[in-house]
Amino acid sequence: MENASDASCMDALQLAGKIIMENGGETYRAEETINRMGRGFGLEQVDSFAVPSGLFISYKNEDGEPVTSVRRVRRETRNLTRVDEVNQVSRLAASGKLDCRQALARLREIECHPGSFAGMWCLPAAFLCAAGFALLFGADLLSIAAAGVVALLVQLMETFMARFRSRGMAASILGGLLTTMLPLLLSRVLPALQTELIVAGAVMPLVPGLAMTTAVQDTMRGDMVSGISHGVQAVLTACLIAGGALLAVEIMHFIPGGAV
Amino acid sequence: MPVAEQIIRAVLGAFFGTVGFAMLVHTPKRAWFVSGLIASLSYLLYWLLTWLGLPDPMAIFIGSLFGSLAGLLSARQMKIIGTVFLMSAVVPVVPGLGLYRMMAALGQGQLATGAKTGIQAMITVAMIALGLGAGAFADRIIWSRKPHRET
Repeated sequence: MENASDASCMDALQLAGKIIMENGGETYRAEETINRMGRGFGLEQVDSFAVPSGLFISYKNEDGEPVTSVRRVRRETRNLTRVDEVNQVSRLAASGKLDCRQALARLREIECHPGSFAGMWCLPAAFLCAAGFALLFGADLLSIAAAGVVALLVQLMETFMARFRSRGMAASILGGLLTTMLPLLLSRVLPALQTELIVAGAVMPLVPGLAMTTAVQDTMRGDMVSGISHGVQAVLTACLIAGGALLAVEIMHFIPGGAV
Repeated sequence: MPVAEQIIRAVLGAFFGTVGFAMLVHTPKRAWFVSGLIASLSYLLYWLLTWLGLPDPMAIFIGSLFGSLAGLLSARQMKIIGTVFLMSAVVPVVPGLGLYRMMAALGQGQLATGAKTGIQAMITVAMIALGLGAGAFADRIIWSRKPHRET
């Protein structure tokens, strides 16, 4: 029970839950991880409650007094490598191979982990994603390349906006706008381009696939608050992208060269 | 388009598109290949079922269900969080094209066409969610009878 009296236990539990939730993990996973790690540390009556915007953790200390903490959580990014690594730490902690301090040190490293790659490597990833889906939708070679370039430019815009902590809604609207407008403008210069398929491919990196999956996972575990919250987030993101696309179509009516 | 070309497009397009998407959400590197493979197989199953004449929503449901089961199984085998593979399994059938067609129709004042396309896209999303949910449910039933391994 040496670990149980260590203040770093609460820090480790908080940090584990925070990393999972800030990087696109499910709330049920955050709760399960905290409970499993807490029991692994030798804490008694460990309990946790997570909602998409916060974490509540409690356990009983050596004197039998309850220790409780609240942590505000803000969704910042999508980094499933960090979530996966916290999962690995929780496995080790649960099996008694890591104590509180070791787990906390590992979690602090994970918090700064850049993910599966760092820097501007997201640009070729966006290119690959859009080009792959354009191929799937039946586009020709030129349109596949165009879809990749459009997605790359939109990703560049997102990366630029992220530097000013301006992601989320604004990025979705702008993403939808650019994803539609660039192919429409390109098709004025190169009429052979398959505009519809380019847009369909280029929009794929923006779709809220992770939020949708998380919503289903949370709902299936009976966590309705988180399920609905993630579901609304997915629908809202899709609506904003669609709104941006509609705006682009409307703007194109005012640009010489005819309607869409 | 010849059937062979359609199959090649389905397999390669779903694979590379999904691997690109997986990279964008920073999934672990060791999961990339399997993510792409699951996406390819799920989409191929969906394509095959529609080619055989099954209604689109039903084909999407079965494709998502297969992807969900394959994803959760892979997650257990590789000890990687299930979300990585579940997300990958459904990304190729997300109605990106439907979304654009809806907006293009609405932008041109074709409200009926826009609404119809929008409803079709919503049905697709509902079927994906249903397939994922049914897969997760079946997985829990299967694994509750076997020694428990967390994903």
